[in-house]
Amino acid sequence: MSSGTPNNPIDVTALAKTSSDTSVPAIKPTAVPSVSGVTMAPSAFSRQLADLPREELEHLAEEYGLDGSDYKTPQHLIAALHERRQLIAGMDREALLDVIRWGRRPVTANASNELLAQQIVKIRTMRFHGLSQRGLVVLAQLRGIDLRGDEMIPDIVRKLKKQEGFFKKLNRKRRAMIGGWVSSMIGENVTAEYQFLPAPEAGRPETSSRQGTIKEEIEESGLLGGLTNRIKKSADSYVNQKLDEIEARIDRKLDEIDRRLAEWRDKEIANRLRILKITLWASVIVGAFSLIYSYIKVYVLQQ
Amino acid sequence: MPDVDFFNFFRWTLGTVVTIYASIVTAQSMYGWYVWLAGADKHISMIRRYVIVHGLRLRFLRFWGDVLITILLCVTFMLLWRAHAVVNQIGETLHSNVQRHAQQSH
Repeated sequence: MSSGTPNNPIDVTALAKTSSDTSVPAIKPTAVPSVSGVTMAPSAFSRQLADLPREELEHLAEEYGLDGSDYKTPQHLIAALHERRQLIAGMDREALLDVIRWGRRPVTANASNELLAQQIVKIRTMRFHGLSQRGLVVLAQLRGIDLRGDEMIPDIVRKLKKQEGFFKKLNRKRRAMIGGWVSSMIGENVTAEYQFLPAPEAGRPETSSRQGTIKEEIEESGLLGGLTNRIKKSADSYVNQKLDEIEARIDRKLDEIDRRLAEWRDKEIANRLRILKITLWASVIVGAFSLIYSYIKVYVLQQ
Repeated sequence: MPDVDFFNFFRWTLGTVVTIYASIVTAQSMYGWYVWLAGADKHISMIRRYVIVHGLRLRFLRFWGDVLITILLCVTFMLLWRAHAVVNQIGETLHSNVQRHAQQSH
Protein backbone atom coordinates (compact mmCIF):
# COMPACT_ATOMS: atom_id res chain seq x y z
CA MET A 1 0.00 0.00 0.00
CA SER A 2 2.96 2.24 0.18
CA SER A 3 3.69 2.35 -3.51
CA GLY A 4 1.92 4.32 -6.17
CA THR A 5 -0.28 1.41 -7.13
CA PRO A 6 -2.01 0.22 -4.00
CA ASN A 7 -4.51 -2.48 -4.83
CA ASN A 8 -5.93 -1.25 -8.03
CA PRO A 9 -4.61 -1.65 -11.52
CA ILE A 10 -4.78 2.07 -12.16
CA ASP A 11 -1.64 4.01 -11.43
CA VAL A 12 -2.87 7.29 -10.09
CA THR A 13 0.34 8.73 -8.75
CA ALA A 14 1.08 10.90 -11.73
CA LEU A 15 -2.21 12.71 -11.70
CA ALA A 16 -1.49 16.37 -12.17
CA LYS A 17 -1.80 18.54 -9.10
CA THR A 18 -4.12 21.15 -10.43
CA SER A 19 -4.40 23.50 -7.50
CA SER A 20 -3.36 23.98 -3.91
CA ASP A 21 -6.57 25.69 -2.98
CA THR A 22 -8.63 23.31 -0.88
CA SER A 23 -11.68 25.47 -1.00
CA VAL A 24 -12.44 24.73 -4.59
CA PRO A 25 -13.02 21.09 -5.31
CA ALA A 26 -13.26 21.98 -8.93
CA ILE A 27 -13.11 19.47 -11.72
CA LYS A 28 -10.52 20.28 -14.32
CA PRO A 29 -11.43 18.54 -17.52
CA THR A 30 -8.01 19.23 -18.97
CA ALA A 31 -6.14 17.32 -16.27
CA VAL A 32 -4.35 14.31 -17.67
CA PRO A 33 -4.40 11.12 -15.59
CA SER A 34 -1.95 8.30 -16.21
CA VAL A 35 -2.09 4.54 -16.34
CA SER A 36 1.02 2.56 -15.39
CA GLY A 37 3.16 5.63 -15.55
CA VAL A 38 2.13 6.50 -19.12
CA THR A 39 0.30 9.75 -19.50
CA MET A 40 -3.00 9.32 -21.24
CA ALA A 41 -6.04 11.32 -22.14
CA PRO A 42 -9.05 11.34 -19.80
CA SER A 43 -11.11 9.51 -22.39
CA ALA A 44 -8.51 6.74 -22.52
CA PHE A 45 -8.52 6.57 -18.72
CA SER A 46 -12.30 6.31 -18.72
CA ARG A 47 -12.11 3.60 -21.35
CA GLN A 48 -9.71 1.67 -19.17
CA LEU A 49 -12.00 2.01 -16.16
CA ALA A 50 -14.92 0.96 -18.35
CA ASP A 51 -13.11 -2.31 -19.05
CA LEU A 52 -13.08 -3.17 -15.34
CA PRO A 53 -15.86 -5.37 -13.93
CA ARG A 54 -18.38 -3.82 -11.56
CA GLU A 55 -16.82 -5.45 -8.46
CA GLU A 56 -13.40 -4.01 -9.18
CA LEU A 57 -14.88 -0.61 -9.86
CA GLU A 58 -16.68 -0.73 -6.50
CA HIS A 59 -13.49 -1.82 -4.78
CA LEU A 60 -11.63 1.05 -6.41
CA ALA A 61 -14.39 3.46 -5.41
CA GLU A 62 -14.17 2.24 -1.83
CA GLU A 63 -10.47 3.06 -1.78
CA TYR A 64 -11.35 6.60 -2.78
CA GLY A 65 -14.04 6.93 -0.14
CA LEU A 66 -17.00 6.40 -2.45
CA ASP A 67 -19.84 3.96 -1.92
CA GLY A 68 -20.21 1.96 -5.12
CA SER A 69 -23.79 1.01 -4.34
CA ASP A 70 -24.82 4.69 -4.56
CA TYR A 71 -24.27 4.62 -8.31
CA LYS A 72 -26.68 2.77 -10.51
CA THR A 73 -24.52 2.23 -13.56
CA PRO A 74 -20.78 1.73 -14.03
CA GLN A 75 -20.71 4.93 -16.09
CA HIS A 76 -21.92 6.95 -13.11
CA LEU A 77 -19.34 5.27 -10.91
CA ILE A 78 -16.55 6.00 -13.38
CA ALA A 79 -17.59 9.64 -13.56
CA ALA A 80 -17.65 9.85 -9.75
CA LEU A 81 -14.22 8.23 -9.56
CA HIS A 82 -12.87 10.66 -12.08
CA GLU A 83 -14.33 13.57 -10.13
CA ARG A 84 -12.87 12.25 -6.86
CA ARG A 85 -9.42 11.89 -8.38
CA GLN A 86 -9.58 15.46 -9.60
CA LEU A 87 -10.66 16.59 -6.14
CA ILE A 88 -7.74 14.77 -4.50
CA ALA A 89 -5.27 16.19 -7.01
CA GLY A 90 -6.46 19.67 -6.13
CA MET A 91 -6.15 19.22 -2.38
CA ASP A 92 -3.56 20.99 -0.25
CA ARG A 93 -0.79 18.51 0.53
CA GLU A 94 -0.06 20.04 3.93
CA ALA A 95 -3.71 19.69 4.87
CA LEU A 96 -3.60 16.02 3.87
CA LEU A 97 -0.46 15.52 5.96
CA ASP A 98 -2.19 17.19 8.90
CA VAL A 99 -4.94 14.59 8.73
CA ILE A 100 -2.42 11.77 8.34
CA ARG A 101 -0.56 12.92 11.47
CA TRP A 102 -3.78 13.36 13.38
CA GLY A 103 -5.12 9.99 12.24
CA ARG A 104 -1.72 8.30 12.82
CA ARG A 105 -1.85 6.56 9.47
CA PRO A 106 1.24 4.53 8.47
CA VAL A 107 2.54 6.31 5.35
CA THR A 108 5.85 7.81 4.26
CA ALA A 109 6.28 11.59 4.36
CA ASN A 110 6.79 11.77 0.60
CA ALA A 111 3.71 9.72 -0.34
CA SER A 112 1.57 11.05 -3.16
CA ASN A 113 -1.71 12.89 -2.63
CA GLU A 114 -3.57 9.84 -3.89
CA LEU A 115 -1.97 7.59 -1.33
CA LEU A 116 -2.53 10.08 1.47
CA ALA A 117 -6.19 10.41 0.50
CA GLN A 118 -6.61 6.64 0.40
CA GLN A 119 -5.24 6.43 3.92
CA ILE A 120 -7.43 9.29 5.13
CA VAL A 121 -10.50 7.56 3.76
CA LYS A 122 -9.81 4.69 6.15
CA ILE A 123 -10.08 6.99 9.17
CA ARG A 124 -13.58 6.51 10.56
CA THR A 125 -13.31 8.29 13.83
CA MET A 126 -15.68 11.10 14.76
CA ARG A 127 -13.39 12.61 17.40
CA PHE A 128 -11.90 15.60 15.65
CA HIS A 129 -9.99 17.23 18.49
CA GLY A 130 -6.43 18.12 17.53
CA LEU A 131 -7.14 18.42 13.82
CA SER A 132 -6.44 21.70 12.04
CA GLN A 133 -9.07 23.62 10.08
CA ARG A 134 -7.49 22.78 6.71
CA GLY A 135 -7.26 19.16 7.77
CA LEU A 136 -10.90 19.14 8.71
CA VAL A 137 -11.77 20.60 5.31
CA VAL A 138 -10.03 17.84 3.36
CA LEU A 139 -11.38 15.17 5.70
CA ALA A 140 -14.91 16.49 5.21
CA GLN A 141 -14.45 16.68 1.46
CA LEU A 142 -13.23 13.10 1.34
CA ARG A 143 -16.28 12.08 3.38
CA GLY A 144 -18.45 13.62 0.69
CA ILE A 145 -19.33 16.97 2.28
CA ASP A 146 -19.41 20.00 0.01
CA LEU A 147 -17.41 22.85 1.57
CA ARG A 148 -16.16 26.23 0.44
CA GLY A 149 -12.98 25.87 2.53
CA ASP A 150 -13.26 28.98 4.71
CA GLU A 151 -15.70 27.55 7.25
CA MET A 152 -14.87 27.65 10.94
CA ILE A 153 -13.93 24.44 12.77
CA PRO A 154 -17.24 24.11 14.71
CA ASP A 155 -19.18 24.47 11.46
CA ILE A 156 -17.18 21.76 9.76
CA VAL A 157 -17.48 19.44 12.76
CA ARG A 158 -21.23 20.05 12.86
CA LYS A 159 -21.52 19.19 9.17
CA LEU A 160 -19.47 16.07 9.66
CA LYS A 161 -21.63 14.93 12.56
CA LYS A 162 -24.74 15.76 10.65
CA GLN A 163 -23.53 13.74 7.72
CA GLU A 164 -23.00 10.75 10.01
CA GLY A 165 -26.70 10.07 10.47
CA PHE A 166 -28.75 9.15 13.50
CA PHE A 167 -28.37 5.39 13.53
CA LYS A 168 -24.68 5.50 12.82
CA LYS A 169 -24.25 7.94 15.67
CA LEU A 170 -26.31 5.71 17.97
CA ASN A 171 -24.19 2.71 17.06
CA ARG A 172 -21.04 4.71 17.60
CA LYS A 173 -22.17 5.81 21.05
CA ARG A 174 -23.03 2.24 21.95
CA ARG A 175 -19.61 1.07 20.77
CA ALA A 176 -17.94 3.90 22.70
CA MET A 177 -19.70 2.75 25.85
CA ILE A 178 -18.57 -0.85 25.33
CA GLY A 179 -15.08 0.44 24.54
CA GLY A 180 -15.07 2.32 27.84
CA TRP A 181 -15.98 -0.84 29.72
CA VAL A 182 -13.38 -2.93 27.91
CA SER A 183 -10.62 -0.36 28.37
CA SER A 184 -11.46 -0.12 32.08
CA MET A 185 -11.22 -3.90 32.26
CA ILE A 186 -7.98 -4.46 30.34
CA GLY A 187 -6.38 -1.05 30.82
CA GLU A 188 -5.46 1.71 28.38
CA ASN A 189 -2.26 1.83 26.42
CA VAL A 190 -0.31 5.03 26.08
CA THR A 191 0.47 5.83 22.45
CA ALA A 192 3.75 7.42 21.40
CA GLU A 193 4.06 10.52 19.26
CA TYR A 194 3.22 9.97 15.60
CA GLN A 195 6.05 9.41 13.10
CA PHE A 196 5.93 8.88 9.36
CA LEU A 197 7.16 5.57 8.02
CA PRO A 198 10.81 5.73 6.94
CA ALA A 199 11.07 6.05 3.16
CA PRO A 200 13.38 3.08 2.38
CA GLU A 201 10.99 0.71 4.08
CA ALA A 202 8.13 1.68 1.85
CA GLY A 203 7.54 -1.97 0.95
CA ARG A 204 6.83 -2.99 4.50
CA PRO A 205 3.30 -4.09 5.23
CA GLU A 206 1.40 -1.42 7.01
CA THR A 207 -0.31 -1.85 10.30
CA SER A 208 -3.88 -1.77 9.24
CA SER A 209 -5.56 0.72 11.46
CA ARG A 210 -5.18 3.86 13.48
CA GLN A 211 -2.99 3.56 16.59
CA GLY A 212 -5.60 4.88 18.96
CA THR A 213 -6.66 3.68 22.36
CA ILE A 214 -8.67 0.50 22.71
CA LYS A 215 -11.71 2.58 23.55
CA GLU A 216 -11.43 4.58 20.35
CA GLU A 217 -10.84 1.49 18.31
CA ILE A 218 -13.95 -0.19 19.68
CA GLU A 219 -15.87 2.99 19.04
CA GLU A 220 -14.71 3.01 15.43
CA SER A 221 -14.92 -0.66 14.58
CA GLY A 222 -17.19 -2.23 17.20
CA LEU A 223 -16.34 -4.57 20.05
CA LEU A 224 -15.23 -7.52 17.97
CA GLY A 225 -13.62 -5.35 15.31
CA GLY A 226 -11.67 -3.32 17.88
CA LEU A 227 -10.50 -6.35 19.78
CA THR A 228 -9.69 -8.13 16.52
CA ASN A 229 -7.64 -5.13 15.38
CA ARG A 230 -5.79 -5.08 18.66
CA ILE A 231 -5.07 -8.82 18.49
CA LYS A 232 -4.09 -8.48 14.83
CA LYS A 233 -1.66 -5.72 15.71
CA SER A 234 -0.13 -7.77 18.51
CA ALA A 235 0.11 -10.76 16.18
CA ASP A 236 1.66 -8.58 13.47
CA SER A 237 4.32 -7.23 15.78
CA TYR A 238 5.00 -10.74 17.09
CA VAL A 239 5.29 -12.11 13.54
CA ASN A 240 7.54 -9.21 12.52
CA GLN A 241 9.78 -9.82 15.50
CA LYS A 242 9.95 -13.52 14.72
CA LEU A 243 10.67 -12.78 11.05
CA ASP A 244 13.53 -10.53 12.10
CA GLU A 245 14.90 -13.28 14.32
CA ILE A 246 14.58 -15.82 11.51
CA GLU A 247 16.31 -13.44 9.12
CA ALA A 248 19.18 -12.93 11.54
CA ARG A 249 19.46 -16.69 12.04
CA ILE A 250 19.51 -17.27 8.27
CA ASP A 251 22.22 -14.63 7.89
CA ARG A 252 24.31 -16.33 10.57
CA LYS A 253 23.83 -19.71 8.88
CA LEU A 254 24.80 -18.28 5.49
CA ASP A 255 27.97 -16.80 6.98
CA GLU A 256 28.75 -20.16 8.58
CA ILE A 257 28.17 -21.97 5.27
CA ASP A 258 30.41 -19.47 3.47
CA ARG A 259 33.17 -19.93 6.03
CA ARG A 260 32.93 -23.73 5.84
CA LEU A 261 32.97 -23.62 2.04
CA ALA A 262 36.13 -21.50 2.13
CA GLU A 263 37.72 -24.01 4.53
CA TRP A 264 36.66 -26.92 2.32
CA ARG A 265 38.05 -25.12 -0.76
CA ASP A 266 41.44 -24.59 0.92
CA LYS A 267 41.54 -28.18 2.16
CA GLU A 268 40.63 -29.50 -1.29
CA ILE A 269 43.34 -27.44 -3.00
CA ALA A 270 45.90 -28.58 -0.42
CA ASN A 271 44.89 -32.23 -1.06
CA ARG A 272 45.20 -31.82 -4.83
CA LEU A 273 48.62 -30.25 -4.42
CA ARG A 274 49.69 -33.10 -2.17
CA ILE A 275 48.54 -35.67 -4.75
CA LEU A 276 50.43 -33.76 -7.47
CA LYS A 277 53.52 -33.70 -5.27
CA ILE A 278 53.38 -37.45 -4.61
CA THR A 279 52.98 -38.12 -8.32
CA LEU A 280 55.93 -35.88 -9.13
CA TRP A 281 58.07 -37.49 -6.43
CA ALA A 282 57.26 -40.93 -7.85
CA SER A 283 58.06 -39.73 -11.37
CA VAL A 284 61.36 -38.21 -10.29
CA ILE A 285 62.40 -41.33 -8.33
CA VAL A 286 61.53 -43.64 -11.23
CA GLY A 287 63.31 -41.21 -13.59
CA ALA A 288 66.43 -41.29 -11.40
CA PHE A 289 66.41 -45.10 -11.34
CA SER A 290 65.93 -45.09 -15.09
CA LEU A 291 68.89 -42.74 -15.50
CA ILE A 292 71.10 -45.00 -13.39
CA TYR A 293 69.92 -47.98 -15.44
CA SER A 294 70.74 -46.16 -18.69
CA TYR A 295 74.14 -45.11 -17.36
CA ILE A 296 75.00 -48.68 -16.34
CA LYS A 297 73.75 -50.00 -19.68
CA VAL A 298 75.79 -47.47 -21.67
CA TYR A 299 79.05 -47.35 -19.69
CA VAL A 300 79.29 -50.68 -17.94
CA LEU A 301 77.56 -53.27 -20.14
CA GLN A 302 78.86 -51.90 -23.45
CA GLN A 303 82.45 -51.88 -22.20
CA MET B 1 65.19 -59.86 -34.24
CA PRO B 2 64.62 -56.35 -32.83
CA ASP B 3 66.59 -55.30 -29.77
CA VAL B 4 63.82 -54.46 -27.23
CA ASP B 5 64.73 -53.01 -23.85
CA PHE B 6 61.84 -54.19 -21.65
CA PHE B 7 62.50 -51.64 -18.93
CA ASN B 8 62.29 -48.75 -21.38
CA PHE B 9 59.33 -50.35 -23.13
CA PHE B 10 57.45 -50.63 -19.82
CA ARG B 11 58.25 -47.02 -18.90
CA TRP B 12 57.16 -45.57 -22.21
CA THR B 13 53.99 -47.65 -22.41
CA LEU B 14 53.01 -46.86 -18.84
CA GLY B 15 53.80 -43.17 -19.28
CA THR B 16 51.84 -42.91 -22.54
CA VAL B 17 48.77 -44.77 -21.24
CA VAL B 18 48.64 -42.88 -17.94
CA THR B 19 49.15 -39.49 -19.61
CA ILE B 20 46.38 -40.11 -22.15
CA TYR B 21 44.04 -41.47 -19.47
CA ALA B 22 44.67 -38.52 -17.10
CA SER B 23 44.25 -36.00 -19.94
CA ILE B 24 40.93 -37.50 -21.05
CA VAL B 25 39.52 -37.69 -17.50
CA THR B 26 40.61 -34.11 -16.72
CA ALA B 27 39.18 -32.75 -19.97
CA GLN B 28 35.90 -34.62 -19.40
CA SER B 29 35.60 -33.28 -15.88
CA MET B 30 36.40 -29.71 -16.92
CA TYR B 31 33.93 -29.85 -19.81
CA GLY B 32 31.23 -31.16 -17.46
CA TRP B 33 31.83 -28.31 -15.02
CA TYR B 34 31.89 -25.79 -17.89
CA VAL B 35 28.55 -27.01 -19.28
CA TRP B 36 26.97 -26.99 -15.83
CA LEU B 37 28.21 -23.54 -14.89
CA ALA B 38 27.30 -22.06 -18.28
CA GLY B 39 23.59 -22.76 -17.64
CA ALA B 40 21.15 -19.86 -17.88
CA ASP B 41 19.13 -20.66 -14.75
CA LYS B 42 19.04 -18.09 -12.02
CA HIS B 43 20.56 -20.36 -9.38
CA ILE B 44 23.34 -21.47 -11.77
CA SER B 45 24.16 -17.85 -12.46
CA MET B 46 24.34 -17.24 -8.73
CA ILE B 47 26.61 -20.26 -8.22
CA ARG B 48 28.82 -19.07 -11.10
CA ARG B 49 29.27 -15.71 -9.44
CA TYR B 50 29.87 -17.38 -6.10
CA VAL B 51 32.58 -19.62 -7.61
CA ILE B 52 34.25 -16.54 -9.13
CA VAL B 53 34.12 -14.77 -5.78
CA HIS B 54 35.68 -17.80 -4.07
CA GLY B 55 38.37 -17.90 -6.73
CA LEU B 56 39.18 -14.24 -6.15
CA ARG B 57 39.22 -14.73 -2.39
CA LEU B 58 41.77 -17.55 -2.70
CA ARG B 59 45.14 -16.69 -1.17
CA PHE B 60 48.08 -18.48 -2.79
CA LEU B 61 50.32 -17.54 0.13
CA ARG B 62 48.57 -20.28 2.10
CA PHE B 63 49.95 -22.93 -0.31
CA TRP B 64 53.21 -21.33 -1.34
CA GLY B 65 55.35 -24.11 0.24
CA ASP B 66 53.59 -26.88 -1.67
CA VAL B 67 53.58 -24.83 -4.87
CA LEU B 68 57.33 -24.20 -4.59
CA ILE B 69 58.08 -27.90 -4.03
CA THR B 70 55.87 -28.81 -7.00
CA ILE B 71 57.71 -26.34 -9.26
CA LEU B 72 61.12 -27.65 -8.14
CA LEU B 73 60.00 -31.25 -8.74
CA CYS B 74 58.84 -30.29 -12.23
CA VAL B 75 62.26 -28.73 -12.94
CA THR B 76 64.02 -31.86 -11.62
CA PHE B 77 61.84 -34.03 -13.82
CA MET B 78 62.73 -31.96 -16.89
CA LEU B 79 66.46 -32.16 -16.03
CA LEU B 80 66.20 -35.95 -15.66
CA TRP B 81 64.50 -36.14 -19.00
CA ARG B 82 67.30 -34.12 -20.58
CA ALA B 83 69.90 -36.32 -18.81
CA HIS B 84 68.24 -39.40 -20.33
CA ALA B 85 68.52 -37.88 -23.76
CA VAL B 86 72.24 -37.05 -23.21
CA VAL B 87 73.05 -40.54 -21.89
CA ASN B 88 71.23 -42.19 -24.81
CA GLN B 89 73.15 -39.94 -27.23
CA ILE B 90 76.46 -40.92 -25.58
CA GLY B 91 75.43 -44.56 -25.78
CA GLU B 92 74.66 -44.30 -29.48
CA THR B 93 78.03 -42.56 -30.14
CA LEU B 94 79.93 -45.19 -28.20
CA HIS B 95 78.05 -47.95 -29.98
CA SER B 96 78.91 -46.50 -33.42
CA ASN B 97 82.59 -46.04 -32.41
CA VAL B 98 82.79 -49.63 -31.19
CA GLN B 99 81.30 -50.86 -34.47
CA ARG B 100 83.76 -48.72 -36.48
CA HIS B 101 86.76 -50.08 -34.52
CA ALA B 102 85.53 -53.61 -35.03
CA GLN B 103 85.23 -53.05 -38.80
CA GLN B 104 88.72 -51.46 -38.94
CA SER B 105 90.29 -54.33 -36.99
CA HIS B 106 88.76 -56.85 -39.44
